[in-house]
Amino acid sequence: MVVDPREAAREAPLIGAGGPGETAGAPIRQASLWQDALRRYMRNRGALIAGSVFILLLAFCIFAPIFSPYDANDADYTQTYQSPSAAHPFGTDQAGRDLLTRAALGGRVSIGIGFAATLTILLIGVAYGSVSGFIGGKLDNGLMRFLDALYGLPYLPFAIITLAIFGTVNFWTMVVALSVASWFTAARIVRGQVITLKENDYVRAAKAVGARWHRVLTRHLLPNTLGILIIAVFLELPGVILGEAFLSFIGLGINPPDASWGSMAQDGYQAYRVYPHIIVVPSVCIAILILCANFVADGLRDALDPRTRET
Amino acid sequence: MTKFVLRRLVWSIPVILLVILLTFTMMKQIGGNPFRHTERAVPESIQNNLERKFHLNDPWYLQYVEYVKNVFTFDLGPSMVLRNRTVNDIVKEQFPRSIELGALAMAFALLVGVPLGALAALKQNSAVDYGAMVAANLGFAIPSFLVATLLIYFVSLKWGLLPTSGWSSWEYKILPTIALGLGPMAYFARLARGSMLETLQQDYVRTAKAKGLRWRRIVTLHVLRNSLIPVVTAAGPLLGFLITGSFIVETIFAIPGIGKYYVTAVSARDYSVTMGLTVILALIIVLANLVVDILYGVLDPRTREART
Amino acid sequence: MALLEVRNLHTHFFGREGVVHAVDGVDFDVDRGKTLGIVGESGCGKSVTALSIMGLIPRPPARIVEGSITFEGRDLTELSERELEDVRGHEIAMIFQDPMTSLNPTLKIGTQLTESLRRHLGMSKGEARRRAVELLEEVHIPNAEQRLDDYPHRYSGGMRQRVMIAMAIACNPKLLIADEPTTALDVTVQARILDLLEELRLRHDMAMILITHDMGVVAEAADEVSVMYAGQIVERAAILDLFDRPEHPYTEALLGALPQIEDERTREERLTTIPGRPPDLVNPPPACRFAPRCPYSGLGDACSVELPELREIRPAHWVRSAHPASEREEAPIEVRA
Repeated sequence: MVVDPREAAREAPLIGAGGPGETAGAPIRQASLWQDALRRYMRNRGALIAGSVFILLLAFCIFAPIFSPYDANDADYTQTYQSPSAAHPFGTDQAGRDLLTRAALGGRVSIGIGFAATLTILLIGVAYGSVSGFIGGKLDNGLMRFLDALYGLPYLPFAIITLAIFGTVNFWTMVVALSVASWFTAARIVRGQVITLKENDYVRAAKAVGARWHRVLTRHLLPNTLGILIIAVFLELPGVILGEAFLSFIGLGINPPDASWGSMAQDGYQAYRVYPHIIVVPSVCIAILILCANFVADGLRDALDPRTRET
Repeated sequence: MTKFVLRRLVWSIPVILLVILLTFTMMKQIGGNPFRHTERAVPESIQNNLERKFHLNDPWYLQYVEYVKNVFTFDLGPSMVLRNRTVNDIVKEQFPRSIELGALAMAFALLVGVPLGALAALKQNSAVDYGAMVAANLGFAIPSFLVATLLIYFVSLKWGLLPTSGWSSWEYKILPTIALGLGPMAYFARLARGSMLETLQQDYVRTAKAKGLRWRRIVTLHVLRNSLIPVVTAAGPLLGFLITGSFIVETIFAIPGIGKYYVTAVSARDYSVTMGLTVILALIIVLANLVVDILYGVLDPRTREART
Repeated sequence: MALLEVRNLHTHFFGREGVVHAVDGVDFDVDRGKTLGIVGESGCGKSVTALSIMGLIPRPPARIVEGSITFEGRDLTELSERELEDVRGHEIAMIFQDPMTSLNPTLKIGTQLTESLRRHLGMSKGEARRRAVELLEEVHIPNAEQRLDDYPHRYSGGMRQRVMIAMAIACNPKLLIADEPTTALDVTVQARILDLLEELRLRHDMAMILITHDMGVVAEAADEVSVMYAGQIVERAAILDLFDRPEHPYTEALLGALPQIEDERTREERLTTIPGRPPDLVNPPPACRFAPRCPYSGLGDACSVELPELREIRPAHWVRSAHPASEREEAPIEVRA
């Protein structure tokens, strides 16, 4: 039978409109949550640029030292305090070391610490928050009260004390120090998520059908929380990186000759009045990372928000 | 309303106790007896006396109780390193400067950031909006040590407008305030903008428009007030940021405040100073959160009745 | 001259994906003291029409591209924002669908009531407060004096809607636009709110535009009804005439979809549903917009190519269809659903 040409010519609505020749009510292909999110993310220009810059930055940190003709720790006292030039695109520092290579290596350390600390924060937060939220009741109440109390802890002093306890500052002690007093918000967010999802109708529906609780947890609660967690990673990252930078700046940084962006900034601080580029280089790197992380987090949040999804 | 405030106040006490406990425990872990590590050897007998005075030989819980007692009577003990100064002395001397810096920075952040964000929201997608948001994002991302050094480099050194360090008269306070307050300002600007935008979408704003109220009244009474709620809530935790930022800014601008002192105290294993300062900082945060809670209750009547 | 005359109203939304023709050529009149019902399904443009009259369409994406809205002789589309602010709340008032979110949660009810009184009628604080108490009593809220100092969260949904109504009639408007005033409320409360609206309308000699998707509500409250579909008016008639002899296939379907409790036989019949969905309004076809779902249109009909005019098929009964009931001969074509 003839398919109505005006039917075909018009844009197909989401559910078949049902003119002659077309079945009404037939659903079109529904994209999965992740594909849809990815597509929406791609359409957000700002987030896309930020994401690309972020990846470029990571690539820089990983590959630049490999291809660089300089060794980051090679002191060359004939080349100290050089301004940016063709030979040294970022200049050199007070010991004649190439700043570009050092920036890349420092990036490895800083970003590495950043991710490690963020993941630690999230792990603690997820553990605390999901237990509290899922079990609920008195335990939840008690745990949340305790958390409220913990909010009173000033984060930097405690980080400093933690480092003092460990005695030395290396990658892992820094990670622990940064996580110790920073996981509270994450725990609260996770708990909030768990509670919302627990009360959610579709979870109730699953329970009503008799699904076991761990199945409910893995099939329903976690996939939704995963989105929030990914966003949380990008939101926590700037804070942690700044924290590491601050600690390094006041002298509690990674031991030399290893460098992080923060310790490079501290080096640069000594001579900034005359040679500002030494402190500018690592600081700009930090700033770029923070900017990207923020935009990526915003982009992810928009992409994953179920309320604004069209499908 | 008063019940609400009282309840909050009472609740702060266990919080403070907990903070002291945690700080205390952590300090104990650092280990090391300060009296045995000094350069000039301290005679055995004097050491024993000092240890007895400081209860260093008592079991830890007794020490804790002793300390708590002292805190509540405002006696934070003597410095263990600087023999002739007590923690109280140090606090009295240095703290006011840090508080002043912090307050100025917070005021700067709020008074510049919130109107900026609100303006950006009202003129959404205009040049003002984009400009403000670019400025805010940059202000937030650039680490304060860079801001501070750049400010000094240009304003002080190159242009000779303002002094580079110290804290005597008002000219000295401008640059540090900006350096410390820029990050929070940017944060508030973004927050205020987001909050305003969301409030502008609310149904009750539409109702207000439908009643034919003048736009200015709608913005000031209906929109701003409700938009401020998240901003106020964020102000509390932001104080923590200010504290940590002050460590850096004080160092760079050579301001004799708590921040600079803190690090030296920790490396010198000066128990009492570190503990005292940490406790005070924590107290400030708890107090700030209390104020925020109360403000929140004032702004949003719904919370006054509810739970706890 | 009618109190409100809307002529050829076109309101479009300009978005990234294209231009949505939310209201595409709407005409109607509202007479003093009468109630006009506007019925249609979600998305047909009835709310946008109401918002256009009030000048409340969100101005960046939306715009009135054509048409006139004449209220007491003045064209509202030509007024400046400040002049419109004077009209809103004073001459024309509007109440909205969701009472739970339409009141400011951080302000007392009293404040929200008195602010329009002071704004438009220049009352002092004391006068306004007294009048506010009267208004609350008019909408049957008990303990009005104390209630003034309460916050909205202390009120139930039905009560909040009453407050909304009180706010709307506060300055004695000549026209009240009610956009789905009962949709968010329980059925029992619905009836009372409609009664209240009628009572107030009579007492204040107000005209009313009642917007709803519920034919039952319209039957109860309206004098005249316009049926909207896909941004256009497809039928307009006096209420009894519409229910007795509907002309447009869409109206017939809407009426057929009403649950009837009349007698055994009707109770056993199934509820009819209208298969399909309204057209996308980004590029509306030049043809009759109901055609793809219409049981009477077939391939090759004029209405599948050209938009039928809104014509007066009987005195005071207008219809936009090539197949109105009184002109039909054949039996309906089955729509393959």
